[in-house]
Amino acid sequence: MNARLTLLVLALAGAASAGAQVGVSTVTTYYREQGGPLENQVVTPSVRIRGDIRDVVQLRAGWEADVVSGASVAVVDNPGLSPDVITSATRYDDFRNVATGGFTLRSEFASLSADYSYGNESDYRSHGFRLGAATELFERNTRFEISYGRGFDQVCNLAQPRAQEAVDRQRLPNSDGCFGGAPERETLDVDIHTFQGGWTQAWTPIFVTQLTFTGQVLNGYQGNPYRAVWLGRSAAQEFHPENRQRWAGGLGARVYVRPLKGTLQLFGRLYRDSWDVTSVAAEVAWEQTLLESLRVRVRGRYYTQSAAAFFSDDYSRFPRGQYFTGDRELSSMGSWVVGGSVRYALPPPVEERTLEELSFVLKFDHLRYDFRDYTYAGAAVPNHTGLALTFGLDAQF
Amino acid sequence: MRFALTLLLAASLGACVTVRPEEKEFLADPSMTFGAEGETQAAEEHVLTNREGSFGAGGVSGGGCGCN
Repeated sequence: MNARLTLLVLALAGAASAGAQVGVSTVTTYYREQGGPLENQVVTPSVRIRGDIRDVVQLRAGWEADVVSGASVAVVDNPGLSPDVITSATRYDDFRNVATGGFTLRSEFASLSADYSYGNESDYRSHGFRLGAATELFERNTRFEISYGRGFDQVCNLAQPRAQEAVDRQRLPNSDGCFGGAPERETLDVDIHTFQGGWTQAWTPIFVTQLTFTGQVLNGYQGNPYRAVWLGRSAAQEFHPENRQRWAGGLGARVYVRPLKGTLQLFGRLYRDSWDVTSVAAEVAWEQTLLESLRVRVRGRYYTQSAAAFFSDDYSRFPRGQYFTGDRELSSMGSWVVGGSVRYALPPPVEERTLEELSFVLKFDHLRYDFRDYTYAGAAVPNHTGLALTFGLDAQF
Repeated sequence: MRFALTLLLAASLGACVTVRPEEKEFLADPSMTFGAEGETQAAEEHVLTNREGSFGAGGVSGGGCGCN
């Protein structure tokens, strides 16, 4: 894999020396969830390089990481840890690397693209590829896109007999020995198929819409191997169905308001899956051009979802069939996001220079979660607010 | 099948639209371009997808969860 990426980077270097346009971008996001002993933070740095040869071929390669640290409740709803189950949270650290590479072939009105990614962390591995095609029609007022992605993921788990009852399975205590052939560890597969389609349409000189659709089929282990759920007499590793089908449809609209020199951006999304999670998301944003090179965007987003069919906040009193979960993201929940961003692009040089374009972006988002029926043995989720800061830089040579 | 036909019919409406190239000054503005936020938008989707029970229709794909 490393050899293939090295080849891609060498090809990009070759493209640069052949007079192609080369772009480099870096984006770093810092996310922090506050709230007592369950606070956690994630730093996600990324670097990408791309080379465009005569507007016909684009080669690209990238790297991204997630540096995660925080604390979580290992046994959800365990009354034995009272009086305060949350103070018994266990600390964890994780580091995920993702390397990506791909190319796009373009003609005047169509393009084909292919991408590959490899993700690696102490307890999770993923190989993914994506094939996409796009075409523009009707004087470029209409654009259609389709893509198919395939993921071959693997999760590390505690080795346990397959015939063992789910209520007797124990959680994974740590990632020691994962993917290393240790007899007390096993590797479970997750197969992911993702289909996407998009239709972008310019209706008038100031109005454009985009309709998107995503379908996804997952098969394999989909729980968190570290998490256990209190079932009444004992705790067992959370147990999710092995199959999940997910569908989402989104509609976005953008209107340029000439007197204000700004753009109103609207987006709505409906989602449903075979675990009975239904969600609605709505977003409204305003983007204002202040100077020729300075743009400011403010936005608000609301999200709400129903719980999975097998979710219960207390399985000892209200079991929901054969499955059980301690995942708060499968409960009935909502969230609010309020944020903004500032983008600044250095004016293009008058004379021909090596550096053709340089732009910066700084983003800020405040998130607030509302867990309507998820508690830790009756104690409300303490980490219900989050902060996301993003800094990005893009250079075109 | 009915949904696909409806979508096909709706998409064919694009043929009736005539925004001429010289009228695309505002459509060419980066704020009117879907996905112009690029990697910062992908980073935002990454944050949200790992903290909500739903996914998709936002133009993002990828493997690995990085959530535990």
